[in-house]
Amino acid sequence: MAAVQGAQSRGGHSLIVGSLVFVAALGVLPMLVRGEYVLFLCTQIGIYYLIALGLNLLSGYGGQISLGHGALVAIGAYAVAISMVDYKLSFWLAAPLALALTAGAGALMALPAFRLSTWYFALVTLGFANVVGGLLTEWRGLTHGFAGVVGIPKPALFGHVLTQGELYWLMLATCLGAFLVVRNLVASRFGRALLGLHEHAVLVQGVGASLVRLKMQAFVISAVLAGLAGAFMAVHKTVITPDDFPTDLSTFFLLVIVLGGMGRLHGALIGTLVFFIVPELLAALHDWRLLIYGTALLLLILFAPGGLAGGLESLARRLGRGGTAAADEPSGSPELQRIDGAALKVQSVSKHFGGVSALSDVTLELAPGTVHAIVGPNGSGKTTLLNLISGYYPLNGGSISIGGRDVAGLSASHIARIGVRRTFQTPKLIAELDVLENVMLGAYSDETRSLAAIGLGLPGARREARERTAEAMRYLQFVGLHKRAHDPAGEVPHGQQRLVEIARALVGRPSLLMLDEPAAGLSLSELDGLATLVNEIAKLGTTVVIVEHHLELVANLCRSVTVLEGGRILASGTPAAVFNDEKVMAAYMGKRAIAAGGEPT
Amino acid sequence: MDVSIVFNGLVAGCLYALAGISMNMLYRPTNTFNFAQGDLIMIAAMTCAALLGVTKLPWYLAAVLAIVLAAAISFVEYFVAIAPMIRRRHGVGWIISTLSVSLILQDIVGKAFGPDPRKVDPPPPFTTDLQTLGPLEFNSYQVLVLVFTGLMVAVTGWFYTRRTGKAVNAIAEDREAALLRGIDPNRLAWMSFLIGGVAAGVIGILAAPMLYASTGLGPLLVIKGFEVVAVGGVGSNRGALIAGCVLGVVEAVSGATLSPGYQNAATFAVVLAILLVRPAGVFGTATARAV
Repeated sequence: MAAVQGAQSRGGHSLIVGSLVFVAALGVLPMLVRGEYVLFLCTQIGIYYLIALGLNLLSGYGGQISLGHGALVAIGAYAVAISMVDYKLSFWLAAPLALALTAGAGALMALPAFRLSTWYFALVTLGFANVVGGLLTEWRGLTHGFAGVVGIPKPALFGHVLTQGELYWLMLATCLGAFLVVRNLVASRFGRALLGLHEHAVLVQGVGASLVRLKMQAFVISAVLAGLAGAFMAVHKTVITPDDFPTDLSTFFLLVIVLGGMGRLHGALIGTLVFFIVPELLAALHDWRLLIYGTALLLLILFAPGGLAGGLESLARRLGRGGTAAADEPSGSPELQRIDGAALKVQSVSKHFGGVSALSDVTLELAPGTVHAIVGPNGSGKTTLLNLISGYYPLNGGSISIGGRDVAGLSASHIARIGVRRTFQTPKLIAELDVLENVMLGAYSDETRSLAAIGLGLPGARREARERTAEAMRYLQFVGLHKRAHDPAGEVPHGQQRLVEIARALVGRPSLLMLDEPAAGLSLSELDGLATLVNEIAKLGTTVVIVEHHLELVANLCRSVTVLEGGRILASGTPAAVFNDEKVMAAYMGKRAIAAGGEPT
Repeated sequence: MDVSIVFNGLVAGCLYALAGISMNMLYRPTNTFNFAQGDLIMIAAMTCAALLGVTKLPWYLAAVLAIVLAAAISFVEYFVAIAPMIRRRHGVGWIISTLSVSLILQDIVGKAFGPDPRKVDPPPPFTTDLQTLGPLEFNSYQVLVLVFTGLMVAVTGWFYTRRTGKAVNAIAEDREAALLRGIDPNRLAWMSFLIGGVAAGVIGILAAPMLYASTGLGPLLVIKGFEVVAVGGVGSNRGALIAGCVLGVVEAVSGATLSPGYQNAATFAVVLAILLVRPAGVFGTATARAV
């Protein structure tokens, strides 16, 4: 995706011209061929493209595998067919009705599954498809049973009934519109969070996104596209029966996007085209369809999980088009706005996991704008404390307030929205995005434009996107990584990944910033850079909490230190006092080392 | 209400519970849910039916061969579809890979054995001839299914109190931490797939005399097994047993009053409602591991 977007910004005009020619060709070509068959087939391809586009958003980007999209298409198709044939509604009324019904039925079904693991969702959608498939034949009063709905009229516009060709153009325009909406969405904060949903759910919450809401939005958009496809299918085929929606239909669409490239913008298009062309050539193998589907899926996911689009991307990169763009780089030190730090108050907090006590009676008080360190041996509860403050675990006792606000019981995404950001022991970067996009994710909860405004590409949303990009660039420059802005995040070395994380946390302008072992795995020169950076961050005004093993770093940076051991506070105070405390030395170096006259730092 | 309907529901529910338990067995050491598990059960049922129908082998020999086949396929599936995905840590890969195994198995079995459901006689001395006990009509084979299910829950429950069972639970809890404790998750994983395959085989031949053997058994049992696991709480075999019984009865009772299509919808609605109230299932516990 990074490469595609990079190509768009660089290739610019030639790409736009190419796309226009492609779309124009799609519009004209089927008309040049005599006979209805090609036209019929092209409309069919458009229908399947819409479904694949939506499924790719949900399953490819969001990692939520749906095995029920075939059923959603069926609901859309039957809703249009029944309301046009049995209730004589016009297509322009029936289609929105179908979309509302698909989105509603889908959301109702998905709601329980979204609070759980991905595979629950896959199986719930499978069960849903099973139920819908059964009802298509059973609910005869509504669906006409096996006979299906016959004689669905073509849509009419001001008394003129659309011809097959005009229907195709309508289809093409819809596909183009849907593509642009999806393109806008995946390039926005929504798309960035969606990509992190599966592998880095913790991170996505940490920037203030609600997982359930995000999944639901992705699913509803995806269901609406499936319903839209169903609506077109009804008027295109004029007859629909339960046989049009076999049980393996959903798996078929999954194969289409795996083939084309999951989580790739053009994956749906490539997959649909290839999938329609190949069976036309191999019609004789129709009986072996399932076996071919299955084998192809297995081989692709094992050996080419990026699909055809992924293959093209790496080919393009190998041909040398994936270099960094160095033209619009800012230089010099960026001017960053001051951030108001918040006071942090942790009062007699305790936490246990089952019978194991991780923290007991921990109290901590930080004035706004100070830098505080939490040190202690492995397993002493440092990260658990951070997890409690950022809301990943519920408290078992005590209270926590940030900026005077009681945050006990709030979810991680809620706490993130009041201005708390953190980094992680193991950097959590989204490999599919480039460095700059990873940083932009940090501003998730600050962005104000609605999903609709983003999807439609309204001027306000575009302006905000530009401003956010520039701002993320400034923070990236602040940590010294602006030259790497367009590199894929997965290819950045470990030490720099930590810096990207810090930039991502800062772009959210946190009143409380928590760094979890930022020095782990850094080289000596990188350590110096980190010390300078943390000092710079402190000057911005935010309150900083560092969990760290590196005592020298802590002594230089922090005004106060808390030492944890075994989940309890062993000592707290200024670094000088704490590190000369006998109990602390004993915990760190053992009693014998102290007797031998060891120096603590 | 007719007692026999409830009883029939209980027996069917036990089969669903068994399917769910076999899925739990694979879930614990790999944290994956095998989408082809229903098809492994189906393959055992079909093989057993074919062997009995064509070769006139003794019942128990045919059963053993069917079980061996299911176990072998499960074993191969682990190395082809599960192990590479766990290694890659790609979150959704295993869903797609086990799903494709399911498609492949369904198609091969459908082509090999044809679409018609096959009737399988119960093994001697059990019969499907009905007997009456007061208002209750039942047969000795149903009793066998009930007893076997009880035994299966007891044996798996005992296993998880043993050393190896505890190791499996440790992997389910936290794969990396288990690795640090000297547990080899890969070894336990392929062993579990072997045992899970045996379980699928046994369930298949147990189900065949009651449900008929057909390719439809695969998709049916993967959904039923999932419903059982989701309601009972993933990993909990006691939960699976209770959920299986409840869902079996709901299905039987709704089946007596509604047509089959609505019956599926009714059971599914019950499952969704339970998940809405208790997302982790009735006996499940939400795990807390964030960073």
